[in-house]
Amino acid sequence: MIILKKLRNNLFFVLIFILYIILFIYKYNMGITALKNSVYYIREMLIIMPVIFILTALLDMWVPKEKILKYLGKEAGQKGILLSFILGSVSAGPIYAAFPICTMLYRKGASIRNLVIILSSWAVIKIPMLLNEMKFLGPKFMIVRWLLTIMAIIIFSWLTAKIIKDKDLPNIKKIESGLSLNKNACIGCKLCIKKYPEIFDMKNKKAYIKKLSENEDIDIIKLNEAIDFCPVKAITK
Amino acid sequence: MDIFTLFLWIGTLLFLIISFIKNKKKTKHALKMAFGMGKGMLGQILSIILLIGLILTLLPPQNIVKYVGSQSLIWATIISGAFGTITLIPAFIAFPLVGTLVEAGISIVPAVAFLTTLTMVGIVTFPLEKSEFGLKFTIIRNSLSFIFAIIIALIMGVII
Repeated sequence: MIILKKLRNNLFFVLIFILYIILFIYKYNMGITALKNSVYYIREMLIIMPVIFILTALLDMWVPKEKILKYLGKEAGQKGILLSFILGSVSAGPIYAAFPICTMLYRKGASIRNLVIILSSWAVIKIPMLLNEMKFLGPKFMIVRWLLTIMAIIIFSWLTAKIIKDKDLPNIKKIESGLSLNKNACIGCKLCIKKYPEIFDMKNKKAYIKKLSENEDIDIIKLNEAIDFCPVKAITK
Repeated sequence: MDIFTLFLWIGTLLFLIISFIKNKKKTKHALKMAFGMGKGMLGQILSIILLIGLILTLLPPQNIVKYVGSQSLIWATIISGAFGTITLIPAFIAFPLVGTLVEAGISIVPAVAFLTTLTMVGIVTFPLEKSEFGLKFTIIRNSLSFIFAIIIALIMGVII
């Protein structure tokens, strides 16, 4: 039962593992090439991801919610859009490097529209990439594509925000009282549930914050205990 | 390491040092949190990377380019756009590839479609994006990005 559950949770990985085994059995050389092809990406990941995780955690610790809400929230308007483009463009690394940063920003009040802008510009309008593009395809090509891409992002980020509402992003708890739980950091140790079962519960091996009714009083001492006991400090308020 | 990654490292390390001087306990918490996040995502990122390695082996980009060159414009655009969505290819491989495509006298429309979907739309990163932002968000963002990549490509075909 436990093995089955583990397999189910890592279905993607198991599938790829099986694919590799099949390839190695039938086309050994291709299997080797595939692994070699992966090496470049593994290097890229090792160069970028540690710094992304540290930066995300530090920003999570030091930048107050109000600041994020003010500069990247719904009310931030055009300044928020501009800031999102700048954040995405000066970034480094592949698009998945943007995921932890974006979930953190969203938990702290960034709007969905700005989230899409950061993700998209992170992916396509990076400056080293533009320089490369100019070298191989010429300045005119680069500038026209760059302008069109920015326009496209402005339009479809607006569309996305029209279609997607906060309730569609269920994995990221955004609680007005300020209590939040970083699902990525949670290791599923259940200590918080032991400390404060009225607030915390488990879902898919990760802790989450149960919906708090409005007039329910939070026991600050119990809550602080739960926050302190979390071994990976995933709970913040 | 490109200069932006370098700056990111330097900036983050400076941030870390200042954070440590200001509040040791908070900084330790942050590092633990970073470690936890890494542990949570590592398996999925590795899966993505191994999958990219596999795709690049089974469908080498050079062959795709050759194939696209022999198709009609509309098909070429859709095929190269679709190929771009499957995988993540680093810029230093993608641009020379697209450069040869354009030099060979093939319209730039498929080339642009490929370049844009390459990094913005991700089928291999789909499971990871889904677990971070939810299914609906991931579907909408990726499909809108794909549609707009094709639109950008068509407009560029007219302008240039």
